Amino acid sequence: MRKYWQIAKGRMQENTAYSAWYWAGTVSAVMRLLIIYFFWQAVYANQTTIQNINLETMLTYIVIAMLLQGFVGGVGNELAENIKDGQVAIQLMRPYDMIFKLFAVDVGSKIMYLIQGTIPMVLIAYFFMDLSFPKSPETIILFALSALIGIWIGTFFDFLVGVLAFWTVNVWGVRVLKESLITFFSGALVPITLFPDWLRIITEFLPFQAMVYLPVSIYSGLITGTEAYMALGIQLFWLVSLYVLVRVIWTQAIKQITIFGG
Amino acid sequence: MITVENLKKEYKLVKRDPGLKGAIKSLFNRKYETKHAVKGIDFSIEQGETVGYIGANGAGKSTTIKMLTGILTPTSGKVTVNGLVPYENRQKNAVNIGVVFGQRTQLFWDIPVRESYNLLKHIYEIPEHEYEETIGMFTEVLNLEPLLGIPVRQLSLGQKMRCELAAAFLHRPSVVYLDEPTIGLDIAVKVKIRKFIKEMNQRWGTTVLLTTHDMQDIEEICDRIIIIDGGTILYDGGLDEIKKQFGQKRVIHFELADKEKFVLPASLDGQVELLPNEEETKVSLSFDHETVKSSFVISEMMSMYEIGDLNIADPKIETIVEELYNKQEQGGKHEEILANS
Repeated sequence: MRKYWQIAKGRMQENTAYSAWYWAGTVSAVMRLLIIYFFWQAVYANQTTIQNINLETMLTYIVIAMLLQGFVGGVGNELAENIKDGQVAIQLMRPYDMIFKLFAVDVGSKIMYLIQGTIPMVLIAYFFMDLSFPKSPETIILFALSALIGIWIGTFFDFLVGVLAFWTVNVWGVRVLKESLITFFSGALVPITLFPDWLRIITEFLPFQAMVYLPVSIYSGLITGTEAYMALGIQLFWLVSLYVLVRVIWTQAIKQITIFGG
Repeated sequence: MITVENLKKEYKLVKRDPGLKGAIKSLFNRKYETKHAVKGIDFSIEQGETVGYIGANGAGKSTTIKMLTGILTPTSGKVTVNGLVPYENRQKNAVNIGVVFGQRTQLFWDIPVRESYNLLKHIYEIPEHEYEETIGMFTEVLNLEPLLGIPVRQLSLGQKMRCELAAAFLHRPSVVYLDEPTIGLDIAVKVKIRKFIKEMNQRWGTTVLLTTHDMQDIEEICDRIIIIDGGTILYDGGLDEIKKQFGQKRVIHFELADKEKFVLPASLDGQVELLPNEEETKVSLSFDHETVKSSFVISEMMSMYEIGDLNIADPKIETIVEELYNKQEQGGKHEEILANS
């Protein structure tokens, strides 16, 4: 366990190597938050509710979704790069579990992102925006749990896309597709309840809604009571299935591995 | 401690017709061709040996090393390192090995070298006092002190390679694979690196498997060489033996005005061997320096042909390797060489 924590720490140090780049990340996160905030203000200028969702609930949803979306990525991109340039060879010669190592790197990145992007956004949202907070401590706990699971589902999914590079070498196209699929189907763009029925039903069978939509809906009160526990169940299902898939595919990938370059 | 038996590795490569047409065709209809990178090799290496593993580019050296480290699964055959099958016990095997790939870095690119070592300490679970001792020694021998606080991206190639070597030996592995550790380095750094490898081998009995194109590396570090070409082993034996056996060989390249008319002078017949030379104007002669003098060969040649230029190849490992290599191309003669060794 200790070595994986050290790996995470190594990544945190790497991320702070360039301070201008680091603070630029903060600025861009805050800018995105403001743009989204004023966009929805404008949408609601001439109406008080959209499908029974009022401005405050909508803003709460969108802002929390945005905060979460920053975490649903993962190490897939880096893994794909390492496979393409052959650097993965060095990593495979180390006495650690590659999957845990990659997740440790990911945790390191995400801790840094928390400080770099999330905390500034939360502060601005808290002081300058009219957002609502969950009524009960139970909701807060459920949300925290659900958010954590959602983040890991996103991480596993990202890993799966990255590992494709063992077969296809280049995964750029797949990644672009993945990004747009997640942004749309995870409910990070608009709440899934606003989708037309047929699209909503499709979405319910995909893992993406478990990344952002379910936790945020718990937070903003769109899902309550038993439904919230159901949502957690669905999330757990995806979490376990994707992790099993990660292990199986990784084992397959290692078996037929070809290290590129030299 | 390392045994390799009838080891084979085949790759599947996508075959492409040339041009855009070929590229588009390959999107729909893929043809594969099989490349036999390693075609059934055998050797075994004892603890503490220093072995030079040499061969031309694409001979199968790196493929072999990757199979020994466990990152490639052999198509067939057996490998064991310290009694472990590397590709089945990749993580366990990793504890006992150290690796340098001359063309890749294993250190953090953007943060100081010291941080990389610190991480390696945790990854290999090196006890603190042992780590301190090792780092202290490396710092002295490789003169790392001024480099520890600098990120790798700001180091020169020579500085970087010194740091890489230290990283490979940090956990005191029982075997170290060095894939072209001196590539692109100046002579002063090369000397330092050779000395370091030699010293580690003596101090800790580290087994060293070294691939390089610099024969000086081999002469100074290795007791034994394995020559591989086209995926098969051409020679496996002591460095001294190969020198004794082939070291008396001289090769002279003559540049002739008219190569087509060339026949070996009668006076040289039986004493001198004509080597294949693809260049249109050049003829290469090989002979045993003990029985035939270079001056004699040259004067005989000059009396019969118009010689534009000539070049006597050094009796170095390089010449020997080149000769072995040429004979292999001529076909099948390497068995004879192996039988003699």
